[in-house]
Amino acid sequence: MTDVILEKVGKTYPNGYQAIPSVDLSIEEGEFIVLVGPSGCGKSTLLRMVAGLESISTGELRIRGERMNEKEPAERDIAMVFQNYALYPHMSVYDNMAYGLKNRGIAKNLIEEKVSDVAKMLGLTELLQRKPRQLSGGQRQRVAMGRAMVRDPKVFLFDEPLSNLDAKLRVQMRVEIRQLQRKLGTTTLYVTHDQVEAMTLADRLVVLNKGKAEQIGTPMDLYNKPATPFVAAFIGSPSMNLIDATLTEQGVKISEALTLPLSHQHRGDIVWGIRPEHLEVSDEQNGDFALRIQAVESLGAETLIHGKIETESANGESMVVRLSGPHLPDVNSLMWLTAPMSHWHLFDAKTQQRL
Amino acid sequence: MIENRPWLTFASHATLLLGIGLVALPVWMALVASTHPASAFGVGHIPLWFGDAGAETWGTVLFEEAGNGVDTPVWFMMLNSLIMALGITFGKIVISLLSAYAIVFFRFPCRNLCFWIIFMTLMLPVEVRIVPTYEVVANLDLLNSYTGLTLPLIASATATFLFRQCFLSIPGELVEAARIDGAGPWRFFFDILLPLSRTNIAALFVILFIYGWNQYLWPLLITTDDAYYTLVMSIKRMLSVTDGDIAWNQIMATTLLAMLPPVAVVIGMQKLFVKGLVDSEK
Repeated sequence: MTDVILEKVGKTYPNGYQAIPSVDLSIEEGEFIVLVGPSGCGKSTLLRMVAGLESISTGELRIRGERMNEKEPAERDIAMVFQNYALYPHMSVYDNMAYGLKNRGIAKNLIEEKVSDVAKMLGLTELLQRKPRQLSGGQRQRVAMGRAMVRDPKVFLFDEPLSNLDAKLRVQMRVEIRQLQRKLGTTTLYVTHDQVEAMTLADRLVVLNKGKAEQIGTPMDLYNKPATPFVAAFIGSPSMNLIDATLTEQGVKISEALTLPLSHQHRGDIVWGIRPEHLEVSDEQNGDFALRIQAVESLGAETLIHGKIETESANGESMVVRLSGPHLPDVNSLMWLTAPMSHWHLFDAKTQQRL
Repeated sequence: MIENRPWLTFASHATLLLGIGLVALPVWMALVASTHPASAFGVGHIPLWFGDAGAETWGTVLFEEAGNGVDTPVWFMMLNSLIMALGITFGKIVISLLSAYAIVFFRFPCRNLCFWIIFMTLMLPVEVRIVPTYEVVANLDLLNSYTGLTLPLIASATATFLFRQCFLSIPGELVEAARIDGAGPWRFFFDILLPLSRTNIAALFVILFIYGWNQYLWPLLITTDDAYYTLVMSIKRMLSVTDGDIAWNQIMATTLLAMLPPVAVVIGMQKLFVKGLVDSEK
């Protein structure tokens, strides 16, 4: 059953600035959707439009078939977790969680039951009488989630909820959020700028760029078949090597001296891409091209090698290679690489679409 | 930084002691004077230690009449002063809370204009607009009434401004969280805003109570009935005796009594007052 539908939803501010031209998205019940993109891409605006905190300029938002454009946030049956948690500083954890229920006129004993259930689920039972300022960042985060869960809403909205936590806690909370969402089965819309968070959490990802949905799909779809160079560069870390090239009869012409053979009916300027993890070390006979190594980053489990494609002229294209395990090549030495054709990504330079 | 310079410690303590002495001496003298008979002042020297007429003077002043042509006892005037001061304080706080709430959280046409108009009333204290204000109050038939004493002094740009600053510092996400939690404008005001501006309210209470208590010109103008005389204005009336001696002992006792409530408020609310001006728990 389709739970949330965004139909040509757009946002234009009164000063004429168009933050979001038009976004179409339909979300299945229980699905975990992550809106991801660089800052200023309109992902938060989109989320706030679903929440009802921003008005919708054009298009329609429907939750369970009901038009929501004109409804107050409280009437939409959504719950939101904010970046800075937005806990009421003067209320205890219990009151923070109970406040929304109180305002809805729910009986006291029922509120108590619900709050203590959720507190138990999140491990907050001991903290119920504390004030938010007596809690650590992770605990505040949990309270903010508890406040959303207590209401048992149709849709959860998360606005970069993990960005204020330290790296270790972030990973832990990420896993926890995913588990909770699976358990509760609540439709979730989650905003983040962190592609790792996006990849690990999402059932489906929406990559936004300048207010436009560049691609919507499962994390693996986006990884394997990015629709545009933007998505290709955004998903995956380190990001994909993208090189401006020309498609000719001989193949992909990267520079005057280097052409990778390919038979393709398309002609003209293209963007040629390959992920760092798909490049393979080779030798002078079998290699496609050589890389002049500029820097080596050893992370133990993997090694990132930054370099430039060796050409006669000095300005070869930069590339990153990701090798598993420790490697210690000399800086400034040459490294021969092959780029397996099955991992190539070709995009039209003009339309920015995948070929 | 720890400094160990004995002469510096000595100098700073001496300065402080001198300051305390300067401030406390008149109060001490008033207290001593109130325990001597009225005639003690005509002799030409100022007594510095308690006399023996204390009980008598204080009893008369407090419960019978303040003396020097003021027939009402001091406790009654204190009550009047208290009603006026509290009326002004609470009136100001309520009005400015509401106006700051409107200006900060609601979008309506001419919102900024409204704010600046309120702000401009800073330039128009009672003393400046006293004649027209008197006429308005007189036309409304409010002379000699508590309403007349308090109402014209209630509008306050300072308090509105202070609350506006306080409200502006409340993060937008908190407002949005309350909206999602289904808190309407009134709920939000009472459940979130009021508790968060608690310390500011306390600080303002102290300032405004003293302001209200010390009102002199306005009560002097609009009260002609003994039943509405306030303490501060009566002290001046007690001095203007046409014939006979001025009962300085009674005046001193009344003055001391007039000082007590503001002092009590400051001491009682010191902690909250400082907190309200210095930090915010948001």
